[in-house]
Amino acid sequence: MLTLPLRWIAAAVLLVNGFFPALWILLTSFKSDAELAHTPITWLPQHPSLSNYLHAFSDQPLLLFLGNSFAVAMLSTLLTLFAATGAAYALTRLQLRHRGLILTALVAVAMFPPATLLVPLFEIMRGLGLINTYGALILPYAVQSLPVCTLVLASFFQQVPRDLENAAMLDGCTRLQALYRIVLPLSAPGVFTAGILAFVNAWDEFLLALTLNAAPGTRTLPVGILLYQGEFSFPWPVISAALVVAIVPVAILIILFQERVISGLTTGGIKG
Amino acid sequence: MIVSRTLRILAWLLLLLALPVQADTVLRVFIGGAAQRPDLFRTLADRYEASHPGIRIEIGSGAATSELQRKYLSVLLNAHDPSFDALMLDIVHPYQFATAGWIAPLDPYFGKEKDTLLADGLPIYRQTNLIKGKLYTLPAVTDAMFLYYRKDLLEQYGIAPPQTWQQLELAAKTILQHKQKPALQGLSMQGAPIEGTVCSFLLPYWSQGKDILDANGKLTLDKPAALSSLKLWKDLISKNVIRRHVAEVKTGDTVNTFKAGHAIFAINWGFAWGVFQNDADSLVKGKVGIIRMPAMTGGTHATCLGGWQWALSNYSRHKAQTADFLRFLASPESVRFITLQGALLPPYLSLYDDADIQAAIPWLNNAKPALLGAKSRPLTARYAQVSDVLRISTSAVLAGSLTAEEGVEDISRRLERILR
Amino acid sequence: MSLRTLLNRYQPDGQRSKLGDVSDTSLAFWLLLPATLLLGLIVVYPVAKVIHDSFYSMSIFSEHGPAFIGFANYADALRDPDVWRAVRFTLALCIVTVPGALLVGLGLALLANRPWTWRWPVRLALLLPWALPLAFSGMIFAWFFNTEYGVVNDLLRRAGVAPISFLLIPQWGFLAICIATIWKTSSFVALILLAGLQTIPRSLYEAAELEGASHWQSFRHVTLPLLMPAMMVALIFRTISALQSFDIPYAMTQGGPARYTETLSILINTTAIEYMDVGYGSALAVLLFLLSMAVSSLYLRKLYKGTV
Repeated sequence: MLTLPLRWIAAAVLLVNGFFPALWILLTSFKSDAELAHTPITWLPQHPSLSNYLHAFSDQPLLLFLGNSFAVAMLSTLLTLFAATGAAYALTRLQLRHRGLILTALVAVAMFPPATLLVPLFEIMRGLGLINTYGALILPYAVQSLPVCTLVLASFFQQVPRDLENAAMLDGCTRLQALYRIVLPLSAPGVFTAGILAFVNAWDEFLLALTLNAAPGTRTLPVGILLYQGEFSFPWPVISAALVVAIVPVAILIILFQERVISGLTTGGIKG
Repeated sequence: MIVSRTLRILAWLLLLLALPVQADTVLRVFIGGAAQRPDLFRTLADRYEASHPGIRIEIGSGAATSELQRKYLSVLLNAHDPSFDALMLDIVHPYQFATAGWIAPLDPYFGKEKDTLLADGLPIYRQTNLIKGKLYTLPAVTDAMFLYYRKDLLEQYGIAPPQTWQQLELAAKTILQHKQKPALQGLSMQGAPIEGTVCSFLLPYWSQGKDILDANGKLTLDKPAALSSLKLWKDLISKNVIRRHVAEVKTGDTVNTFKAGHAIFAINWGFAWGVFQNDADSLVKGKVGIIRMPAMTGGTHATCLGGWQWALSNYSRHKAQTADFLRFLASPESVRFITLQGALLPPYLSLYDDADIQAAIPWLNNAKPALLGAKSRPLTARYAQVSDVLRISTSAVLAGSLTAEEGVEDISRRLERILR
Repeated sequence: MSLRTLLNRYQPDGQRSKLGDVSDTSLAFWLLLPATLLLGLIVVYPVAKVIHDSFYSMSIFSEHGPAFIGFANYADALRDPDVWRAVRFTLALCIVTVPGALLVGLGLALLANRPWTWRWPVRLALLLPWALPLAFSGMIFAWFFNTEYGVVNDLLRRAGVAPISFLLIPQWGFLAICIATIWKTSSFVALILLAGLQTIPRSLYEAAELEGASHWQSFRHVTLPLLMPAMMVALIFRTISALQSFDIPYAMTQGGPARYTETLSILINTTAIEYMDVGYGSALAVLLFLLSMAVSSLYLRKLYKGTV
């Protein structure tokens, strides 16, 4: 294949591209404000300290933000998986008159960016009394992930042998039971992939979170981190520390499940 | 049966015990950032709690800058959210908030007091605090833009503090020429697209006796005056009195530059005086002069009113109690405390003769005439848009991406659309 | 993957289960209900509301109530130089970042598809940019491009080049935003392409090698054609989201200097949310819908024809 030096260069390109910004944040989180204001800039922290992490947790309720983000991401993922499972099963296994229309409608969702729907979304959430609650974010996040989750799940359901389902129904299962006892467990990798896509999408979202859920108690991480900003300053070291705290859970998720995400996508919607 | 009944009674008893004897009324006050001194207001709140049993005050913060506060509060208030009862607002915001119905008029809670408060307050408050004839806000602290100068440098070269921009240019050029210090700037001012840059545009504009809006809120932009305002700054940039990077400079940058001794003159808010005099790392302690803003040649001295106001949220569930707390906060006694502790300018005229305050703010007598003539940025429900236009176009002209003429056309065209 | 194959793929096999306890139609109704309710509430109703509002003059800061003004908002929008500049900037961003992200993503995917001894660092490197929130990616890159404290200018300085105020000069700002966008989005493209690469059977490459094909030839004649479906998926996703660019330019320049880097989404957000000029903002939103649909229909037509 590749010669050795080329391999090293390839590895370096990949790693620098992937890690440099995160690494920079990590390095900054150990620097002091004074060091950051120093020109020319330093690359490695001169007097590494953990004080920014202490500040990150004491200046703002970072743990609360973490908890809020986790709750919102988790609940919206569950909701989207629930809705997507039904839709994917109906699309793959049932006789539908308007299959094409339903599928197109699902994909068309992507054409209406949330930024443009903010005003009516705000009014809906206000009407439902959901402003400044998790609900205001869970519903739109679930919808944002619905198309891709449905496509991924559908392609997995496709591969579950119909005989297994029929056998289960011969044993007295209803169709719905067959879906939840046979099809879904057999499509576990797909559920996983869809779930992670939805989770990361919700974990990252900023604009809706800022507008629909800005109250102190229910803020999610991206909005919370912005509030470390001062009247005249942007305290990068503390913000970096908070960012590291925000990135670590997702990084762990990726390390644990990277095989499944990629193999999930391989089996899933991408295959031609 | 008996067991279950006993259990039920026990449960009721527990429930009763769990209820506090008398539930406190909690009033929540929004004080945006640390610069608005929530620490000092906490002390006042403690005093109020002590004399008002059953009332608890919580101070909540949200966002540090005036812009972020506007965004944050408008989201909350637009949702009719009752999270905050009282709000500390930048003086540019109440008009917009009152038009949207987000803040409640205070008239029902302030009878005759309204006139007393207004009579003692700075004259400009008759415009800013009375919105369509109703009292919407009470003053918390006041501020205005001033010209800071290096007393030591001006004295060294026998130069009097400048009264006009022309004199400032001359003074700066003389000192820069003699000093030959590359780090030394002539004048440091705000030019980044931030709220302070709105004032940077308006200061020379107002000095020519012009206004953006008339009393009825109709646009009265005077293009020649706007052009000479922008040209004044461009001219000072071309003569290197103002540095070329001015379009990046924010309020804090000006403070830091002057504090580090890197500027002969600086335009900033009055609060910066305390920073220059008291901060541990200030290199200009005892060398700071402060006077009212220079005028255009043949023009008047005009400055930009700043400061913070108290308002009552229309979605508060405790309006009467909150109004009473605001009455306490805005009383001359409370304001005197804040003024003394924070070295901030008092919004009431009577406090300008107070010996203690004069001792705490030695330049108080210089500040008074400036504040008496201070002007308010345009009072309109569309202020957010007006502010964006003025700051973005001014910053673009300072950066050189627009010429002064293009900048004026830009401002005029946009304001016409917004205010038609 | 063309939409037709997609549709064909989801045809249920002809043999219908006779054992179902409920009819397909009624089961389908219940299964599709959650998704339908969600879509109705979060997409269909809001879109209808936006279209409705676009014919009104309404602002919470106006002294009068909402008033029907027909197409006046649209007429205003077409005359508004800010709108045209935002459209131009958005399209320029699309034209540069979509192919850019596709190329970089392809490169990354090819690299990651090599048989690395250590797989997880490679995978993490590939996926981390995808997992970093858009808004923070923008903030971090804004910092990288800072005149005084940025890494980019530090490198320039070390190379003996004078620092550049990237985010204060329109052309440099555009470049900086493009780089940040490509960095952030190439990760997801690479993810999709990597999944596509892994479905290409090894035997095909071995066959190509036997016939004496060079690396380039086997890439050109085996990899590329088989990767095309995945590329199309990535292309559609990227194009639509590039048309909607908001977070990265907003975090980097807030649309500045002097609104040169304002995208349509930023303009809509500022108008409708910050200025609460809901009627005009809605008209701009409808224009963005139309633009999105026009661009996607170009793709869809190509897809329906099955030319890809």
